[in-house]
Amino acid sequence: MSSAIETRGLSRRFGDRLAVDRIDMHVPERSIYGFLGRNGAGKTTTIRLLLGLLRPDAGQARIAGIDVARNRMAAARKVGALLEAQGFHPHLNGRENLDLSRRLLGLPATEVERVLEVVEMTPHARRRVGDYSLGMRQRLGLARAMLGAPPVLVLDEPTNGLDPEGIADMRRFLRALPERTNATVLLSSHLLGEIEQTATHVGILSQGRLVLEGALADLKAGLAAAVEVGTDAPERAMAIASAHGFEVERADEAVVVYIAADEEPRDATAALNRALCAAGVRVHALAPRQCSLETLYRNAAQPALA
Amino acid sequence: MSTHTCVFAPPRLRTALAVEAYKLRRSLALLLAAIAPLLIAVFMFFNLTRFDKPGSWAMALQSSAAIWAFFMLPMCTTALTALMAQAEHGPRTWEHLRALPVPRWHLYAAKAICALAMVVLISLLLAVLAPLAVLAAGWAKPAAAVADAPDFAAYLLLLGRIFLAAWLMVAVQLWMALRHASFVPALALGIGGTFFAVVATSAKVGVLMPWQTPVNQLASDPSRAALALAVGFFGGCAAFTLMLWRMSRREMPA
Repeated sequence: MSSAIETRGLSRRFGDRLAVDRIDMHVPERSIYGFLGRNGAGKTTTIRLLLGLLRPDAGQARIAGIDVARNRMAAARKVGALLEAQGFHPHLNGRENLDLSRRLLGLPATEVERVLEVVEMTPHARRRVGDYSLGMRQRLGLARAMLGAPPVLVLDEPTNGLDPEGIADMRRFLRALPERTNATVLLSSHLLGEIEQTATHVGILSQGRLVLEGALADLKAGLAAAVEVGTDAPERAMAIASAHGFEVERADEAVVVYIAADEEPRDATAALNRALCAAGVRVHALAPRQCSLETLYRNAAQPALA
Repeated sequence: MSTHTCVFAPPRLRTALAVEAYKLRRSLALLLAAIAPLLIAVFMFFNLTRFDKPGSWAMALQSSAAIWAFFMLPMCTTALTALMAQAEHGPRTWEHLRALPVPRWHLYAAKAICALAMVVLISLLLAVLAPLAVLAAGWAKPAAAVADAPDFAAYLLLLGRIFLAAWLMVAVQLWMALRHASFVPALALGIGGTFFAVVATSAKVGVLMPWQTPVNQLASDPSRAALALAVGFFGGCAAFTLMLWRMSRREMPA
């Protein structure tokens, strides 16, 4: 699958701080790529490099095969962006604000109505943007990013500040975008839950480095199967599980027991249960551990933080 | 699946200009453009009606040009350029604009051309309102009515020279306003520049100062006026060019 967005050795420094450190990113076409990292990890800096708002110190960024640094205008025609700071003129209404961008892009007037309809903002288009809620502004921002039907959409924290209903609405729009518009979506966020429900691929950034990247389903499948054991004697349970060849770790009050890839999880769990009961360890819970994006993120990001 | 496709028309400076003019709709900048010359006209009216003997067109129009060049033009320039810059700084639209497939110098050139156009607009309004104020004063107090014939051509020429000499001041103010997200540096520069222009009018080096080049068009020495015009206009062209180059290349802080 070819890449809609690709970077090679992309780096950017601000004084002594290396904000983006040799990133090699590949965003497949028609994917929803969740770009994850804690605040200050370098997500926004990377996005600004992709959009040509910053010049890289090293490396290369390509949008739809076009080198951003060498041909900014051509690359910019392939991408629509929703940036963190929304940027609308509050004294103009929604339609007028979109019309400003539409004119600069040299697009027909019908394009404004089309994007308003996609984000379901047509009924509010004649109201001043100054009177909009944050959710409405975000939707208008998404509409503006979609002007001209660019093949790539870059959305920086699109659910920032939204209430649960607004987040659900935004999630619904975003999930439908590749199907509805044929676009590739790069979606940056620090909210793991939102990315997990929306993205098909993820890239995890930690201290400026891309520490993990791939299709979300594949990454989760690669996680080792595990069971969580709830017990009043976690130390004893850990010792017994280790003695039977299991890899173990403590997770709050529970014990996490990892099952080897060549073992059948059900058989291994039953064997573990027998061993613990035979040793007199009282087990009050035994459940398979969910392979979540949070696990992936912690596994990927924490070694970099050590 | 959508098969919608769009073709972007090539970017044109006139498009960026039209968009800039569109933003001025219902904005404070247009209100300022109307109020500034009106204030001068109102002041002229009340000033002329103080006198009990006939005045002259030349003196009345000269005095309106002096108020404009000395004080109102620098203050309007400070306010207008700050308003135009804040139109993007305030709602933080610069990142969005600079990410568009539009040459960045178009965006800044549109700001510059609109700022100059606003000064032209105010000048033209003054050219209409000032004579009306003189006529109104004569109607309100016949004893103070002007006795001689007006020389509107000379008045328009003077306003034109003041406008051209103001290019350097407009460029410096606009650059400062665009460069900083806060309006304070531009405001401080405008107030400081106007202050020194007022207190140091007769200074020899004043002819080189951006805030004095317009008022030097009223100088009795024609060579001083010509030098100030050259400094203001050609210096302004150079300053605008440098501003476009620097601002287009500049990276915006997050």
